[in-house]
Amino acid sequence: MSQEIDVSLVHVTKKFGDLTAVNDVSFDIPKGSFFSVLGPSGSGKTTILRMIAGFETPTSGDIYIGGERVNDVPPNKRRCNMVFQRLALFPMMNVLDNVTFGLRRRGGLSKEEMNRMAEDALARVGLKGLGQRKINQLSGGQQQRVALARSLVLDPTVLLLDEPLGSLDLKLRQAMKLELKHLQARMGTTFVYITHDQTIALAMSDTIAVINHGKIEQIAAPEELYRRPATHFVASFVGENNKLRSGRVTRLVDDHICETDFGGIPMLGRAGDPVRPGDEVDLFIRPEMITLRPGKHEGGILGKISEINFDGSHSLIVVDLLESNRPLSLNVKLQHTEEAPEVEVGDIVTLSWRWDAANAFYPVDQSHIEKEA
Amino acid sequence: MATSLKRAKGLWLLLIPMLLWIGLLFVLPHVKLFMLSFMDRRTGAFTLANYAAFFNKSLYTKVFIRTVVFSIFTTLLTLAISFPAAFIITKVLGQKMKGVVLMAIILPYWISELIQAFTWMVLFRETGVISYLLQRLGIIDHGIEFLYHNYTIAIGLVYTSLLFMIIPIMNSLDTLDDSLIEAAYDLGGDFWSTMREIIIPHAGPGIMVGSIMVFMLNLGNYVTVTLLGGKNSLWFTEAIYNQFIVRFNQNQGAAFGVILLTFSVIFVWIVLKITKQDLTEAM
Repeated sequence: MSQEIDVSLVHVTKKFGDLTAVNDVSFDIPKGSFFSVLGPSGSGKTTILRMIAGFETPTSGDIYIGGERVNDVPPNKRRCNMVFQRLALFPMMNVLDNVTFGLRRRGGLSKEEMNRMAEDALARVGLKGLGQRKINQLSGGQQQRVALARSLVLDPTVLLLDEPLGSLDLKLRQAMKLELKHLQARMGTTFVYITHDQTIALAMSDTIAVINHGKIEQIAAPEELYRRPATHFVASFVGENNKLRSGRVTRLVDDHICETDFGGIPMLGRAGDPVRPGDEVDLFIRPEMITLRPGKHEGGILGKISEINFDGSHSLIVVDLLESNRPLSLNVKLQHTEEAPEVEVGDIVTLSWRWDAANAFYPVDQSHIEKEA
Repeated sequence: MATSLKRAKGLWLLLIPMLLWIGLLFVLPHVKLFMLSFMDRRTGAFTLANYAAFFNKSLYTKVFIRTVVFSIFTTLLTLAISFPAAFIITKVLGQKMKGVVLMAIILPYWISELIQAFTWMVLFRETGVISYLLQRLGIIDHGIEFLYHNYTIAIGLVYTSLLFMIIPIMNSLDTLDDSLIEAAYDLGGDFWSTMREIIIPHAGPGIMVGSIMVFMLNLGNYVTVTLLGGKNSLWFTEAIYNQFIVRFNQNQGAAFGVILLTFSVIFVWIVLKITKQDLTEAM
């Protein structure tokens, strides 16, 4: 696929009075991709979406849709449509009239053509034959689909989604998550999805932009984001992570790998920031990347199990480190496979991990971290 | 809570004061009125003459039709003025301005309708404020009597009923989620199509309640109409007043009253049917 760019933000800043909601944000969204903007509430992600849709104007910077600068184009003239957080279906109309609303605004189509297009769109989202229903006769999931069909029938260049799955219960959310991804793949429309739910973003996106306090922290594919977070914030916000505070870098193994010291225990990790020996760092270690062996072994960190939390497919095991000179503990995610060791509270275990399961970053001001693992 | 309250015996006793009020001051007089309207003035025997008088004397029917048409017109005028105001108050103004504007609308209603009408007479009469100002500005060269015209009646009626239109429309617009308006724009709608397809249908019940209230207030208005319209007002309530007070013909007045009441009920019912609104839903 050629790298045609559908949406482009160039140094976009949005201020509301003294508050800078979006701070110098730039990114390109390739045609046909599923792009997510992930961030905690109040991070400015909704403002970004509303600027792309045209409901807010950037204080500075430019927005391009399909190569055209749209800063001064009103929302009803932009080739992008939005699925609202609370869906915003029109309760005074039936399903079919909701879906044809945008077509009727375009003009130049006969009633039969519009109805046929709407029926097609409804069939695509799995609501064939429900056109005559009233909105309040539909379930939450069906309403979701109507909202999608209402936008998709207009064949927008870009579909903007403002966390529309947030209101659904877990099972339905997971089902809709997959369906949305399939729909996107089938239609080839560029999707821009706003969410604070990293599981949704990781599962659906081609690319994720992590945003915090109005600034982009990292733009990367989900796996890259998960394995090689670029910043302290991304490491703590995306996925579960152990966070060990305030260690020291003892030496650099090479450009990427550093050896750190936490409570007297040497630990290897990827250097997320350009650290030097003697620097203070926090170390993030993925719980599922830690290998747990019962008993005492060479080349590992000795610990004692203090807690086991059963969680279906896996257990979360809390291990207190025995050899550290200050209280430290790590969470270990143990998959319930056939080879999984049987352990009990009080067992002595040895923990180990590959250097790239851990990421070291300079500590940040604690007041800035809204969500901790 | 609700069910245990429902089970409490004698709760309905609390309704008695209201039932007494309605029974003694509304139902009873209307039953009496109804009976009177079918009685002969002298003998008290059953007769349809009082109703026949209404349909035979073209003056009465003309006054009646004039009152109805005029009331419909002023109701529509009130709606046309109130809807944009209600929309701006609920959807455009900030919290602070909202309070100020709303207060400015409500404040005049703390003064009685009678006093309001008198103040307008001061404004509108030949030697009044408006006439004087226009003369001083050199726009007219001698005093003009603004009182006792149809437009004066219309101005007065619209003014006295504005609030009763604005408040219900505001209530219904308040419940309109702003994202519906944004969604309409996002899908390519413009100002008029969003108004027509989203905002007005949503405000429908409020518009209905407001219009019914205002129509009834206009139809049954007496003070504003007589003071501003004088002899020319030719309002149906005046005809009823004349029968009761001037001619001492209670039976004829009663028949007029019943006609006005019956008509209003049927008219409102038909309007509700045509606009597919439900009164309980609208209220």
